Amino acid sequence: MKFLAMCSTGLGSSFMVRMNIETVVRELGLQDVTVEHSDISSAGPDSADVFVVAKDLEDAVQGLGDVVVLNSIIDMDELRGAVKEAAARHGVA
Amino acid sequence: MLSHLLPERNIHFTQEKLTWQEAVTQVARPLVEAGDVTPEYVRAMLDSITAGGTYIDLGHGIALAHARPEHGVVRTGISMLRLGEPAPLLDLPEHAVDLYFCFAAADADAHMRAMASLARILSDAHTRQALRDAASAPEVVKLITEFEDSE
Repeated sequence: MKFLAMCSTGLGSSFMVRMNIETVVRELGLQDVTVEHSDISSAGPDSADVFVVAKDLEDAVQGLGDVVVLNSIIDMDELRGAVKEAAARHGVA
Repeated sequence: MLSHLLPERNIHFTQEKLTWQEAVTQVARPLVEAGDVTPEYVRAMLDSITAGGTYIDLGHGIALAHARPEHGVVRTGISMLRLGEPAPLLDLPEHAVDLYFCFAAADADAHMRAMASLARILSDAHTRQALRDAASAPEVVKLITEFEDSE
């Protein structure tokens, strides 16, 4: 399965979120998971299985599909829970 | 390394009550004075927040102000401003920020490495709290150096 972390520029916060998702994926030992980051405008419903954005960009990602919204992009506890749930939804363990 | 991009002279503390515009302008000041960024970069950051860019709020009272490299970055650099009380972004209480970073990346590569380092430090609950508790520039530099050495 594929996670796509997104922000408006594809430069700053999306890259931070991507790094943190990669850390969580390693911690949890999840197999066959890829993580990328991009700006919101270049992403479409087929770009990933799960889209991850910060709370402020929630309105910009309607219609993409399985979207995870984070209150804080540097809160590893929140992210760990979100990644775990998303992986379970997509049958990855 | 983040410790090289965030020297003591780029780390400031203030007890003044600031607006978010003043906070962004002040956090960028050491970079402007050193010629790392042009005044246009500060304007670009303010404009982007005004246009709804509250996503620079990372949570935990920390914001990472930045704009695109072509908006006036001369050399890659980072600065930090710790406030005594929050200066909420766009005056929105849900974006109360009392620890501002200014991030200026000259190119994508410099951007990635420094951003990765900063992300690891801010995402580590222990270091994040220590950074929020730090009371002086030397303390912040020591903290970051120790964190990077431990990796």
